[in-house]
Amino acid sequence: MTADSLDPVIHAPARLRIVATLAALPDGASLSFTRLQDMLELTPGNLITHLRKLEDAGYLTSETSGNGRASRTSIALTRQGRAALDTYTNALRDLLDGL
Amino acid sequence: MPGTHDIDQTPKADDGDGLDPREAARLLAQTEREARREFNLTPPWIATAMAAVILVAYGALWLSTRGQHPYQGPSLGVVGLVYAAVAVSIAVSVKVYRRATAGVSGPSVRQQQAEGVAIVVSFVLGSPVLQGALKHYGASDAIVYGVIPAAAPLIIVGTTTLGIAASKADWPQFGAALAVVIAGVVAAFVGPSGAWLAAGIGLFIAVLGYAAADALRRRRVPLRA
Repeated sequence: MTADSLDPVIHAPARLRIVATLAALPDGASLSFTRLQDMLELTPGNLITHLRKLEDAGYLTSETSGNGRASRTSIALTRQGRAALDTYTNALRDLLDGL
Repeated sequence: MPGTHDIDQTPKADDGDGLDPREAARLLAQTEREARREFNLTPPWIATAMAAVILVAYGALWLSTRGQHPYQGPSLGVVGLVYAAVAVSIAVSVKVYRRATAGVSGPSVRQQQAEGVAIVVSFVLGSPVLQGALKHYGASDAIVYGVIPAAAPLIIVGTTTLGIAASKADWPQFGAALAVVIAGVVAAFVGPSGAWLAAGIGLFIAVLGYAAADALRRRRVPLRA
């Protein structure tokens, strides 16, 4: 097994941290964009780009409520995203065992 | 992403090229630990502080009533100290809860709020109603101001929490709630002054035990680099 076998959507520092942070929430819970940004200390633009990649892969969903300055975006890991993190973690464990 | 169109979207996005698996494992473990700590409603320091407050408050109640014949109840000063300790504990708990759940939404948050309401209602109503009824029917001060206020909250709140923990399969919480119920049962049979001591020691052990079990559970990570 090589590093190529790791899910490339998750196998990037920022996206790995995003998915691991959201996975620490209970099933079905979502986190606001601002809290996630505070926790990960990423710039808004950087965070948005990584969230898009994860959303395109079906690993998370985002929902916006309100308008203008009062708008709030909430992000949640999907079942598919949680399963992908489990698969990634198992693949990483196998890879490290083989090193 | 909807709602974020007004934010700069020209990032310096990193990708996984060159990310060493060992570094990825370290990053994953560290992020999980930090996230669990951020979302933790009962951090170890607050549980330890609560246990100390419980021991001091119940110890003061026991010392205040020890050797009373007939039993008259704790002094007003001690009762004031206990109320102050309860008020501070509630204020700190609310602050920690708000910090941990800031930005978090969804069914799990609503469930936690409902659980909190159930526990508060059982605490606020359970013992005073029993005390009022017993006083009304002529029970002695030893029962009304000793055994019942020491033992009843533990049994009532403990069984409420036991049900909540069982429904979530939260075994550390289940064990702590069971210990609280047992302490309440013991407190009911050791006399009006001894009831405060039994309740205090039981609560102290339950809170510290829960904090230790919860800390161990949260420290477990899926892999270590």
